[in-house]
Amino acid sequence: MSDLGGLFLRAMFVENMPLTYFLGLCTFLALSRRPDTAFGLGVAVILVMGVTVPLNQLIYSAVLAPGAWRWAGMPDVDLSYLSLLTFIGVVAGSVQLLEMVLDRYLPKVQAAFGAFLPLLTIHCAILGGSLFMVERRYDFTEAAVYGLGSGAGFALAVVMLGAVRARLAYADLPAGLRGLGIAFLITGMMSLGFSSFAQMAAQ
Amino acid sequence: MADLNPIALWRRFLRTPNDSRAKTLAVAFLVSAICALLVTAATVVLRPIQAENRAAEQRARLESLIAAVPGISSLIEEAGGDSLSTVVIDLDRGAAAADVTPETLEAALSDQANWTALSPTEDVAGIGNRPNYAQIYLLRSGEKVSLAILPVVGNGYNGRIQALLALGGDMRTLAGIAVTEQAETPGLGARIEEQLWQQSFAGKQLFDDTGAARFAVARGPARSDYEVDGITGATRTSNAITSMVRFWVGPKGYGPLMTAIRRGDF
Amino acid sequence: MAASESLWSTLTAPLIRQNPVTLQILGICSALAVTTSLDTALTMSISLTVVVVLAAGIISLIRRHIPNSIRLIVQIIIIASMVIVIDQGLKAWFFELSQRLSVFVSLIATNCIVLGRTESFARTNPPLPSMVDALGSGLGYGLVLTLIGACRELFGTGKLLGMQVLPLAEQGGWFTPLSLMLLAPSAFFLLGALVWTMRSIWPEQADDPDFPPHDIREDRR
Repeated sequence: MSDLGGLFLRAMFVENMPLTYFLGLCTFLALSRRPDTAFGLGVAVILVMGVTVPLNQLIYSAVLAPGAWRWAGMPDVDLSYLSLLTFIGVVAGSVQLLEMVLDRYLPKVQAAFGAFLPLLTIHCAILGGSLFMVERRYDFTEAAVYGLGSGAGFALAVVMLGAVRARLAYADLPAGLRGLGIAFLITGMMSLGFSSFAQMAAQ
Repeated sequence: MADLNPIALWRRFLRTPNDSRAKTLAVAFLVSAICALLVTAATVVLRPIQAENRAAEQRARLESLIAAVPGISSLIEEAGGDSLSTVVIDLDRGAAAADVTPETLEAALSDQANWTALSPTEDVAGIGNRPNYAQIYLLRSGEKVSLAILPVVGNGYNGRIQALLALGGDMRTLAGIAVTEQAETPGLGARIEEQLWQQSFAGKQLFDDTGAARFAVARGPARSDYEVDGITGATRTSNAITSMVRFWVGPKGYGPLMTAIRRGDF
Repeated sequence: MAASESLWSTLTAPLIRQNPVTLQILGICSALAVTTSLDTALTMSISLTVVVVLAAGIISLIRRHIPNSIRLIVQIIIIASMVIVIDQGLKAWFFELSQRLSVFVSLIATNCIVLGRTESFARTNPPLPSMVDALGSGLGYGLVLTLIGACRELFGTGKLLGMQVLPLAEQGGWFTPLSLMLLAPSAFFLLGALVWTMRSIWPEQADDPDFPPHDIREDRR
């Protein structure tokens, strides 16, 4: 709790969203054929997670958590069952904003993966980050650090996979393994490698 | 005429072009309202069943813990049937909490103000912060407490470990442990959920004569009354259990409560 | 009859030929996290199938009146509400299973399969074909999950649905469990092997090579 640096590193390596928790795999596998699209996706995920996780933490603690309405004299009100809908709404709004900003200032990036940005609205990893934040009761700074760390972990993993798959474009793979098959096997090996980082967390 | 108006209105509404501002707002509002209603209805109707499930699960865990602790059935018989009581205690004071009951405990613990942050030296178990209130179970024979069952939590190799620790009436001997939640490696650390290993806790001493915490999960077989057999290949999990037990019987855990029980204040 | 024939093909296409997980790369996230045992895999498949069928039905019913500018968010709200209702139901009637599934039931709301089917099929087709298509996708997803869940539980612990099938060596049998099966990477390997097998048996599903080796002398001509 007092160790924000450790939280960041843990979120990035030990609790890596795609490799440890299997979250965000659809976009992870679909957009990792080339390092540049992978990098774009990674940066977008860092931005969206860095914004939505702390924002959702504020909304959750102020409105949805059990006992949040204590100041209004209604301590028994528990709106936490609405958290899924609320978080999705916040993420959708943030993604819209991101789309508009990209369209205005970075149109080339928008052209590269604009079609996939709406998919970030229902991205498992982005929503998963908010859901884990609730489960682990982070406060605002921890939520911000956790969001950035998870996003960075996702970005790292997807760029690594993109780099490997770019090389594989020239490989003579068996027909059945091309594309999805080999991507799974490589991701499995990366996951195996990242699991050794778990040693880092257990002091 | 008045009868047709709502239906006619509705039909006219349906006929408006989809992209008109009015229709967009109306559809958005209607969908949100109906979905919110549906979700709220489902939650409100099912909430009592869920609460009962959680309570039933706690009871079942308690019963299995009690069944696993050797000699417990005779203790219960002496005390006359089912004299297991539950109370929410204030950990810092080591006494019953003034304004928190088992029903309001969850709401109280959702407030960050009811959690105490732990400094790195205090945080032996690696849990970061600890709740100020906990629901414990006491078995009494007459006036004295003969068994205390305390919920504990620690940080294992792969996630949180939650357990119920059973202490004998002298507050120095372990009566048993039941691990209720863990995410350790299956076949290795996850073996802390095995009955046989948990039963080996019975009779182990927590403190030595100077009052220092001596309990530990050994590396390899136990060599003294303070130790429990270790689990091969699960050093980190074993260390996590040791840290967890030592923290919670220490000054920042149930220490004050245990002192109070020993003095007979409870 | 032509209508029921096409309904049947709508139902069965997603099982093998158009399997959402192995061909369309949809819905993978939860496909791996919940497959450490067969019962969680089955629960997840059934939950997702129920959500996608209901959501497809509802969205198909109101398809003519969804304004284009808010169509995605309307679909998402309906899907998320279905998920919350299912989640509450699981917590009430299958408490132990819901504990083990934890946040992954909530994550059905983000499952690409659900939004994919409503966006591409339910929005433009009548309710019955939409629900059949949704059912097919759900079953295709369930098929993959069941296979992987069965493999992981069987080889990781020797049990299927909690019942000991392969006698453990420690209890006098011959089977030593492969603990790797219960860890994350094994799911990736199994799914990769499954995809490889499917694409070898049905080669039309395989991707074309990005840079096919060809004779450079052809270029010079």
